[in-house]
Parts: sequence; structure tokens; C-alpha cells
Amino acid sequence: MRNLLLSSVCVLLLAACTPGHYGRLTSADKQAQPLQSIFGDNFTSFLFKTNITIYGKEVSGLLVTKQMQAHDYRVIFTTELGMKLFDFEFKDSAFSLHYCVPQFNRPALLNTIKQDIETLLMNSVGQEPYVTLTDKAQQYTIIRTHPQTIFTYYFTENASGNMVKIEHSKKHSKKVIYLLEDYQDHFPNSISINHCDIKLQIELKLLKR
Amino acid sequence: MKKHFLFLAFIIPSLLFAQVPKGFTLVKDTATFKLKMETQSKLVNSIESDFTQEKYLSVMSENIISKGHFCFKQINMLRWEYNDPYKYIIVINKDKMFIKDNGKVNKYDINSNKMFKSINEMMVNTVQGNLLNNKDYKANYYESDKQYLLELSPLQKGAKDFLKVIQLYIDKTDYAVVKVKMIEPGDDYTSIDFTGRKNNQPISDEKFTVK
Repeated sequence: MRNLLLSSVCVLLLAACTPGHYGRLTSADKQAQPLQSIFGDNFTSFLFKTNITIYGKEVSGLLVTKQMQAHDYRVIFTTELGMKLFDFEFKDSAFSLHYCVPQFNRPALLNTIKQDIETLLMNSVGQEPYVTLTDKAQQYTIIRTHPQTIFTYYFTENASGNMVKIEHSKKHSKKVIYLLEDYQDHFPNSISINHCDIKLQIELKLLKR
Repeated sequence: MKKHFLFLAFIIPSLLFAQVPKGFTLVKDTATFKLKMETQSKLVNSIESDFTQEKYLSVMSENIISKGHFCFKQINMLRWEYNDPYKYIIVINKDKMFIKDNGKVNKYDINSNKMFKSINEMMVNTVQGNLLNNKDYKANYYESDKQYLLELSPLQKGAKDFLKVIQLYIDKTDYAVVKVKMIEPGDDYTSIDFTGRKNNQPISDEKFTVK
């Protein structure tokens, strides 16, 4: 019984982060419109309550994203008590690290968080070639880009027109899953980022925009 | 040479005066101030107060404002609770620290972690105004008609990396800390205003546990 329970849990975990569904996607009849950024083209700032869980350790705080100019975003993470943990800037394809506490200043961790935020900001989206796919039930319109070795799938729900999921995959294995939920006024109030290769999860809950 | 002399004659005094915050003058008798502060602090067994925290980030057009309530009880029991715009509770109970976030409670042993130990010392000493004799900080004392201003600059390199100065604004009538401002090296800051403070009211021990 215990083994059965254990194997069920393993199956569930594996199903969440493994190959699978890409083979079942087919080319759509017509090319989708280019993707629109989740944050919109002209936003001022968004404030999120944020929890980062890495290998069982949890760091929580407030994440602010602010558009300085077109394609220039500042992203700052502070603790609830106000201590700044990191300060990133994304300008077109360039990245600047303005500040980082030593606990976060590890190249692999910083680079992963940087890539996660970059994916959400969608700064380079629209400049890359893409193909349009659909699922068997035609529930989603899926745009796939592959600028390098990583494929990115953007899932837009046909019924609502909302982008509900982004997935990074490599050789048909899911690497990172971004879930965009609880849409209000065309913006997801809840964003979760789950890494399949490393034990890293980021949860963002919108507080203010 | 004359030009250089004139330049220095204007610049040096302005630099000296710039160190004194606007509206304040240097406290002449720091020993008496410290003694009064310590005496008053010893009379306080518990504190309860609302607070408003403001985070200033130079790149943002608006400050991030959070509101909450805190309770402190001797010895070393603190509940620091944010209610708006999010729920987040830190409880320090002797050598244990509890953090409740998103309905989940995490428990930490303060002595096992250097960072938690310094958070504990900083929070407990700040609400009590007990940072006067801390050797990790260089202190400057200022006063206005209504307030004392205690400026503490960290001396240790680790702390200097993220903190330029802590300013404690202290009410002259009851020596209570009414405002704390923590300024970072790039001049971004966190400012906390305390309102509705009540001293020595009974506070149940249950406030210092979280479930």
C-alpha cells in the first residue's frame, strides 16, 4: 500500500515536469497574431508579494517591476521589512545587476531568476520567428519560438484570450512551467514559476498595479 | 591660489553643516541624554503600537506603503505583524523566531543563524531605543524642540554593504521612538512611523505564538 502511494506520488511529480504533450500538438490552420506582452506595452509599475523556495529554503518579500522606457524594465526585490535583496535592469537584450545581497549573489541562482523574469517581461517577443500550434481539443492557441536550443511554448486559452501558461522545453522535456492564473482586468493576479530540473519555485501574487 | 582658498572657505563649512539634519542641532550633553533614555527604557515592560512602513526606491514614482501592528514584552518577546496590503507575521519569543506567511508557519532557532540573531537584536533594540551603547555603530546625537534624533552608522563591513545609517526619532516628552529610518548606501530607504503607542499595558503571552 505504502509502495503504491509512493509510486502514485512519483507518477504525479513526473507527469508535472516531463515530456509528453508536445507530440500531440499540431500545426494550426492559420498563423496566430504576434504575442502581446503580459504586462502590456505601457505599464508604470506592478507590486507583487513574492515567495521564492529554493531547495526547501524560503525567501519572501515584495517584487516591484517598473517600466522606465520602452523595452527598459527595472525589477527590485525587497524583504517585507524593506531590505533590498536584488535590483535588476532589463534594457532590450542587455541586463544590468544594480545591486544584490551576498546570499543571492551566486551566478547560477541569479542567472536562473534573471531568465525567469526575462521570460515574464517578454522583452524579445515579437522579434523572433514563431510557429502556431493547437491542441487536440482546440482549447489553446500555442505559439512556439526557438531562438536557441530551448523551445518556448506560449499557451493562450481560446475561450478567454488570456495567456495561461508558458513552458520552456529542451529535447521535448519540460524545463520550466509558468502558470498565469486568476485574470482580472486582462492581467494574471497569480503567477507561479516551477522549475523541473532544480528545486526552485517562485510565486507572485499581485498586490498593486 | 586665492580662488582655491575661497572655494575651500565656502565648501568646508557647508560640508560640516550638511552633516546636521535640517531642523536639528547637535546635542551638547550626550551623557545626560543617554542616561535619561536608559532610565526611561528600564521603566517600560511592554509596548504596543501601530506602524506605517514606507519604502522609498529612487526608481519608483510612488513609495511602497505597508501597515501593521506590533507588540513587545520583556524579556525578548516581539510580534511584528503586517495587515495591509498583505498578511505577514514575525514573532520573536526568547530564542525562537516564527514567521507566518501565506498561512504557513516557519520556526527558526535564533541562535543557530547569525542573520536571525542580528534581526532579533535590531528589532528588539530598535523598538526599545536600546541601540545607544551598541559597539557595532557610531552614534551622532541631534535635537529639535520636540525630538531627539539618534543617527547610527554601522562600523562593520557586512552591515555597511546594505545600510548607510539608521535614524531613530525620539519624542522628548517620553523618550519613545516615534520613527525609524533605515537609509541604504544608494539613499533608498525604509521609514517606519509608530502611532498610538501604549506602554506597560498587559499583553497575553499567546500573542507571542503563531499557529
